[in-house]
Amino acid sequence: MQHVRLMLMTEDLPRASLALAETGQFHPDTRPPEEPALSNLPGHDYRETFVQARSRLDKIVRIAELEDSPILGQAQVIDHQVLDALNQKLGTLWEDASHLEEDFRGLDEEERVLREQEAALENFANLKVDLGVLKRKTRFLDFYIGLVPRENVSRLEGAVALAGHLLLNYLQRDNHAHVVIIGPCGERENQLASVLSSAGFQALPIPDGITDKTTEELEADFRARHQALEARRAALEQQLTDWRDKHREQLLDARRVLLLAEPLVTLDPSIHGVKSLAVLCGWVPTRAIDRLRKSLNAHLQLPFALETRRPTAAERPLVPTVPTHNQVLAPFSTLVKQYGIPQYGEIDPTPLFAVTFLLMFGMMFGDVGHGAVIALAAYLARNKLKSFAAFGIAAGVSSMLFGFVFGSIFGVEHWLPALWMPPLEDPITMLKVALVWGIVFIIAACSLGIYNRIAVGNIQGALLAPHGLVNLLFYFGFLAGGWNLASSGGFGLWPGLIVLGSLATLAVHQWRHLSGPVGEKILVVFIETLDTVIVYLSNTLSFLRVSAFSLNHAALAIAIFTLADMLGAFGTIVTLILGNLFILVLEGGIVMIQVMRLQYYEGFSRYFSGDGHEFAPLRLRFGESP
Amino acid sequence: MSAAAHAYLNTRVSVMSTRLLDPERAKALLELGLPELAEQLELQSVIEDQLSAHAKVRAVEQALIATLLADVAVLIRPMNPAERALLLSWARRYALFNLKTLIRGKLYDLDPTTIRNDLYDLPPGLRLARDELFRTENVLELLRVLERGPFSLLARQAREVYEQKREPFALEAAIDQQYYSDLVRQTMRFQGDSLQPLRRLMGALLDRIDVMWMLRFRFAYGFSPSETFYQLVPSPRLLHRERLLDLVNRETLRQLLDALPEPLAARMADAEDVLEVQRRAAAHQAEETRRILTQSASGVARALAYLMLREMDLMLLFALLQGGLLGLPPDVIKSAVDPHAFGAANGGGALAAAA
Repeated sequence: MQHVRLMLMTEDLPRASLALAETGQFHPDTRPPEEPALSNLPGHDYRETFVQARSRLDKIVRIAELEDSPILGQAQVIDHQVLDALNQKLGTLWEDASHLEEDFRGLDEEERVLREQEAALENFANLKVDLGVLKRKTRFLDFYIGLVPRENVSRLEGAVALAGHLLLNYLQRDNHAHVVIIGPCGERENQLASVLSSAGFQALPIPDGITDKTTEELEADFRARHQALEARRAALEQQLTDWRDKHREQLLDARRVLLLAEPLVTLDPSIHGVKSLAVLCGWVPTRAIDRLRKSLNAHLQLPFALETRRPTAAERPLVPTVPTHNQVLAPFSTLVKQYGIPQYGEIDPTPLFAVTFLLMFGMMFGDVGHGAVIALAAYLARNKLKSFAAFGIAAGVSSMLFGFVFGSIFGVEHWLPALWMPPLEDPITMLKVALVWGIVFIIAACSLGIYNRIAVGNIQGALLAPHGLVNLLFYFGFLAGGWNLASSGGFGLWPGLIVLGSLATLAVHQWRHLSGPVGEKILVVFIETLDTVIVYLSNTLSFLRVSAFSLNHAALAIAIFTLADMLGAFGTIVTLILGNLFILVLEGGIVMIQVMRLQYYEGFSRYFSGDGHEFAPLRLRFGESP
Repeated sequence: MSAAAHAYLNTRVSVMSTRLLDPERAKALLELGLPELAEQLELQSVIEDQLSAHAKVRAVEQALIATLLADVAVLIRPMNPAERALLLSWARRYALFNLKTLIRGKLYDLDPTTIRNDLYDLPPGLRLARDELFRTENVLELLRVLERGPFSLLARQAREVYEQKREPFALEAAIDQQYYSDLVRQTMRFQGDSLQPLRRLMGALLDRIDVMWMLRFRFAYGFSPSETFYQLVPSPRLLHRERLLDLVNRETLRQLLDALPEPLAARMADAEDVLEVQRRAAAHQAEETRRILTQSASGVARALAYLMLREMDLMLLFALLQGGLLGLPPDVIKSAVDPHAFGAANGGGALAAAA
């Protein structure tokens, strides 16, 4: 990876952004420039215009429901003038669309009021109130019938009381209350009008001829009004469709222009400058430098300078890491990313993770039948699982292969001859295998961790940090002593010296890096040193679960067959089906979690910092929504 | 809240309370010139920046609000969800200021840049939820967006206001009304030891607000008793619903002040104008708030009391800085925020006056 610094004339920025995006190899560096003179942000106005234009387009597209993608054509430079013109055009289009949206809102509101009016009349019918009387205002009494938001009722009641009126809340629907306000006509009417307006009072007019019409006639009236509203809605929808068809090309073109303008907007935080000079920094893979230079030569019209250099030691944590692009490894890469992104220079753990993951899963869940079901299920659900289908198939195949090794098919161990042996035949050997597997895994993980630290220039860390070289030395001594203890009864002189020497080295290192009272330092160093011994012992034993689950799988199958044997023919079938489902779902899930735990905790924590960040180059997102 | 969390919060509030200004310190601040004041508050960069006076005032205000909200962030950490929600609701007032600015800007067709410059920059938890609001281009669009969210009721009222008279006052009054009603509702949901002090605290706040709103609506805007009552939020302490119904019917400022319940009536005994009433009502609130801060055992009530007093202090500082930035004579600034305006017995009275 190389750090590049591009110096160019400000007016060439749109072309430069396009050139950089076309190569798809430029990861912007957003650090502020070291030179204080380069403090201007030349791309700021461009970004502002872009944001407004995109916001307008988004709003229009939401109303017009335009889902088409623009036709790509040849990439073209979008300068500020073009973007500004587009923004103005979109402003005009949005004004049209906004009116249509407002018309739809108005229709919704009319419909709502109509429904409330129906409810109110129905309620009055139940109360046997003569609405004709309410409709005919008398010389002395004043009536208001309508809706108010429910939470305003109490205050409105007090307010109308002060104006000499009474409020009757006769119906509550959703967040609204239906009220009747009655009071004397007179000078306080004006006061009341102002209060009603503040309270969000919405009058519900009593329809004409209310006293002369039968219920059926009134219902027919309402039906007609609903139909009229529906007709208006249909006409409005047609109007919207026509408007969309008329402006489809314009909108698609706007989308295309915004896609082309986007790279410069993305670059905005990385662009600095002074007067007409702009400076742009970023990270580019070494192999892509020539291509980048050619692309800039082809696009830029004015002189420019491109400086490249290797990242400094201090910059290493800032250098992005190129992710794995292998299709087969993609799902494993996703799981690795859950832990973190490898730092620049670190070994990408994805291939190792994939191999060890499949080996452990297969050994813990080795069964030809169950493996086949997992693989088949993953294959059938490939459209839903997408890249994770490969993961499921690989796990299933691994399980099948170990099923042949153990001679197990749906838990039955006498249908297939085992290539090696069924797990329950010799559990001690199974546990020994798991222990050796764990020891190899831990040594490999520590070795990788040491290599990774050396690769990023952290020599002291490679030697003395947790799981560094001294730790590994301790582990070797610990293993040799353990072997001696098991075979001859004594720990042995050399293993003892190695263990004590390495622990003493770690303790001294820790002591030098601690601050605080002596007593506290002694306590911390003692606990940390003891922790090293406990951690390596427990981590090694932790791998016994690899065998334990293979034993568990066989034992669960035996339990299900025993249960099935105790039942009749129908019960046997049901038990076998449900039992195998239980094994597949529950045990399969647990095994998956255990493997992840071993990988993350025993593996990644030793050799993988996970604090890098992914290479995310500037790209043209054609075919996607802007 | 557990006893341990209460102890932690109470300790935290006690430690933070040492930052509050006492009258002597406030008086000393009054004597400082703008550069010294800015230096003490670490705001030299704002004062020395090449900005317009208006922009500097905004920057100072923004910096002081950020200080207050940083205190909110510290205090809510050990709180349970209900307590945290109450403090955040109190602080959400600044988001409502932004909403009002937006509505006003759209109603008067102000330039988007002008509107944006007048908006407070708030932390994520307090920002208006919808960025869409900021991207709207006219009043109707703003109201449509507003109607889809928690302010749907306001939006509907706003639409009527817009369609009838393009008058932002009623809308802003409705926003305030809803804000304080929600605050009271949240307070009344508390149980146990915290309910009483919170009621007192919120009561003191609403008593002050109701007095001021009554005077303003009745005698400055000439509203009818009905309209005035509708705009008020009954207080859980002195100015409850029945009392407000009685008070809004009074015909003159003197009659209204005389009808106030004690101790408000005694405090307003010889107040002649609205400005004086405002000072005394604020002094009353500050006194009550300080009492809760020093005497209550409830962590949440003390935290809220501290924040209210802290806000008053920051408003005092803002008044001093604003006066300096606008080039007002020192006498004018002093007369506006004199810490001895109400006598030393008031404690926080001077600061409250600035609020």
